[in-house]
Order: sequence, then structure tokens, then C-alpha cells
Amino acid sequence: VSRRYAAGGQVALAGYAQSKIERRASVPLGALALDTARRAIADAGLSLAQIDGVANASLLPSFGAHGLIDGVSIVTANWLAEHLDLSTRWIAGYAGWGTLTGSMILAVNAIASGAATHVLVFRALSNPPGRYHDNAIAEAADGMQWTVPYGMWAPPAKIALPYMEYLQRYGAGREAMATLVVQLRQNVQRMPWAYWYGKPLSVDDYMNARMVADPISVLDCDIPVEGVAAFVLTRGERARDLPHKPVYVAGFAQGRSQAEPLMLDDIMQGGKALCETLWESAGIGRDEIDVPQIYDGFSPLVYFWLESLGYCPQGEAHRFIQDGAIAADGELPLISGGGAIGNGRMHGVPQLLECYLQLSQRAGERQLRRAEVGLACHAMPQSGAAMIFTADSH
Amino acid sequence: LKPLPVPDARSAGYWEAASRHTLAIQRCLHCARYAHPPAVVCQGCRSAEPRFEFQPVSGAARLRTWTVIRQAFIPAFEADVPWVIAVGELREQAGLLLTARLLDGTKASPRIGAPLRVVFEDVTPGCTLPQFLLDERQA
Repeated sequence: VSRRYAAGGQVALAGYAQSKIERRASVPLGALALDTARRAIADAGLSLAQIDGVANASLLPSFGAHGLIDGVSIVTANWLAEHLDLSTRWIAGYAGWGTLTGSMILAVNAIASGAATHVLVFRALSNPPGRYHDNAIAEAADGMQWTVPYGMWAPPAKIALPYMEYLQRYGAGREAMATLVVQLRQNVQRMPWAYWYGKPLSVDDYMNARMVADPISVLDCDIPVEGVAAFVLTRGERARDLPHKPVYVAGFAQGRSQAEPLMLDDIMQGGKALCETLWESAGIGRDEIDVPQIYDGFSPLVYFWLESLGYCPQGEAHRFIQDGAIAADGELPLISGGGAIGNGRMHGVPQLLECYLQLSQRAGERQLRRAEVGLACHAMPQSGAAMIFTADSH
Repeated sequence: LKPLPVPDARSAGYWEAASRHTLAIQRCLHCARYAHPPAVVCQGCRSAEPRFEFQPVSGAARLRTWTVIRQAFIPAFEADVPWVIAVGELREQAGLLLTARLLDGTKASPRIGAPLRVVFEDVTPGCTLPQFLLDERQA
């Protein structure tokens, strides 16, 4: 039995829009989503009346003691469909960690099956009042009873555990990671929409950053922001009649693990399985990827993804990225879109957006010489979701 | 006040044993596999008729990883900054992990694989937290 994705090359991205990315937006998140969705639909050369499907993921910010209010702190697909007054036949929300990538996979399959024709996929991120992960929790029930009574809380501390394993096992130091974080900050200096545009970072800045949970510093985490991105997808033959060059979906893979504490061996075992599925799904190999947009919401995730994807042997990513190997205009334009570390906490939007912009030849002065095949992923390799895009429908 | 664990139907046996200064871990009565935190379905035999029992274990462990928490996030822990969180693998089963504080503190500079033992911290009359100490006695 072929493990190739049966609908590979049949569904395409046709347009996009992105709001401003700010620490705190000046309008409610729902209003920002409304505006961004309308602009994405117009960008695709479509009208609101033609949109018959909406998909998204609204997970997060849910780690703190913040109330989740639809249209204010989160925006669900149902909320946006209702407030845009869309005539939708199909609406879906993705519940896994892969968030935007996972919800785009839902949309691709809805289109491939004929459940919908023109689908809006969006992601709306809010930054709650106070600190993002602050939580004046009074008692530790359910899953929290195993960690919260110890003061073990929030993703930076959870990610610190496998990163500490990595550093110890492979003899890596924080200075190796400086190369990545400085490069990602550099990559957004040609991207006026990015949160860190106009603010490059030095190795010293990185090495002197405040530690949050050793070995994770504040600069190993993306900064919480507010912003919305929206994409429009449709069948490939329909997309070819629309204004922009279509970008086709070749294949995908989704992780399933929810295991905690996060341990390096589990991450790598799950990650290698996901990546094997990904290559088989798309019928495309790693060496064919021109636009590798790996998720970087916490910097160590880039090591885990690079090694899961097989760019280097396990334990070698901290060396692999050195000596200009990941320069945006070099042989491996790793996260040329600046990722979450450069753009702000947009949860996989920078990865998908860069794949779309490069493969549709819409990246302007940043346009890569060769941009035929792109990879975007989100979350961790054992739990997240990854997609492969192509400029041709094959 | 620091948030205390709220025992539930699956965890009550663990916390009750801890209050007696015993580390008891959920064990599958079909296949003898341990699980922590307590499982809904055993990941060993995957039986759809789960039968579990909390059984005492040695409390001997090896350090798998750790972190030094330098930002509290939960206000009640502000005064504790910095503190060490350790993940220990219990001697009884590969991959059987327990997360707790390493009471030796930030000056201990622990290394992965270091031997640990579980000790018990009485937090309130009704609540005891298992914790870790580096264990020089284990080879």
C-alpha cells in the first residue's frame, strides 16, 4: 500500500493576508481577524460569498489563568464565520498542538473530498494582560497535580528539560544557540511586519539574556504578540484562474504524542516517525526542500526538528548550524522567514507564510533564487504537524 | 498559598501513600507495568478492562534531567526562586518518571545519571510531597 498522500498536488494556497504584529493590538482580536480575513479573500481574487469553509485552531493562550473569550482572547472558526456572515457548509477547529498547520491539513482534505471549495484558514493570537504564563492558581487538580505543587509550570520550564538533556548528552553550550537566534533576528531585518524589525541582536545580547528556566533564557522564547494571519485555499485547477501563482500541498504528517515530562528520547523517536511519514506522504525527500521553515517557538525545537528531519545526525544540530551554514542567502535558508523568534509568537504563521511567499514568487527583495519546494512545521516533532508545498502541481 | 494537589479517583492512592511517607506507584494487575502519573488505560497491555493497584516502590531513582527555575510564574512560589526541578527515572522500570524538586538546591550541579532517592516533605497536615535528594550511597 502506498503511503503517498492521495490528494497531493490537488489543493493550493491562493492568497493570504497578515495583520500588524504588535505587543498589544489597538482593536479587539475579533475585529483584527475580520479585517485580515477580508483582505486575504480579496487577495485571492474571491468574494466573501464564495467562501464555503473555515478552519482554524484557537489553542492558546491557555496556560495562564486567563479567561478565554471568543472574539477577544481567542477567535474560533465558528466566531469568524458568523461575524463575517459567511455561507459556510464546512467549519472545523483543530485541537492538536500543530495548530495552524494542523487546521490547514483539515482544510486541504475538506477541499480534496469536495466538502468545500474555497476555504479560509486563519490564526489569531492574543497576548493576555500581565505576563503570558502568570497564573495565580489556588489548587492543583487533574493533570496539574503532578507538577504545579512543585512550582513546575509553563512551557519554558517544560522545554528546559529535554534541552538540558541535549546539552549534557552532546556536550553543547548555550553559545552554539546564539548563532541561530542572532540569524533569525537578522532574517527579519528585511521584513517590516516582524515584531523585531529594526532591532538586530548580538551574540553578547543573547549570552547575557535573563534566564527563565536553565538552560532556557528569555531570548530562547518567542515574544508574546497579538496578530492575525489568514490564508485562502482551493482546488488547484480553480487556483490557476486566480490572480496569484498557486502553491500546492504535496503532503503532510501529524504527531500524536501528549506525553509529559518532555524527554529527549521520546521527542526524537516521535519526530523521526513523523518525518518519515512526511517524506512518504509527499513523495519528496529532504534534499529537495528549497524553503525549510522549521518551527522555533522555543529555540531548542530547531535542533529537534533538524535532527528529526535528518539534516544532520542526532546530537549534531548545534554544530551543523555554525559557520554560516544557515545564512538566509546561503545554501540552506533555514527559517528564512525569521520564524517565531524573529516575528513574535505567531504560532507557525511565519513558517507557513514564508513557504507561501517564496513558492508563489511574492517574497520581493527576499525572493530565493530557487523556491520550488517548501516545508513548514509547527510545535514539537513528536506532537506537531508538518506540511510540504510545491510550486508545481506535479 | 502554594497550590496543593487535589486527589481524584485515579490519584488518591498515590497521595494517601505519600502522606504515610511511602512512594506507591500505580501498577497494572494484568501485565505488572507501572505508570506515573496514573494511567487511564495501561500503555503496556492496553486492556480495555483496566485493573490497577498502587504498590510501594523503593524510591531509588536516576536523574534523567533537571532545570533551575528562575521565574516563578505562579506568584506563591516567588520566594523560592531559584529552585531545582528534577526528573528521576525510578529503579523499578525503564522510563518510569517522577518529577519533583531536587532539595540539594542550585549549588549541587547535578549530572545526568546521578543516583537519587525520594524523601517526603510534609507540607500541611493532610498533604505530603515526594521530593528528591542526591543519593551518595547508591553506586
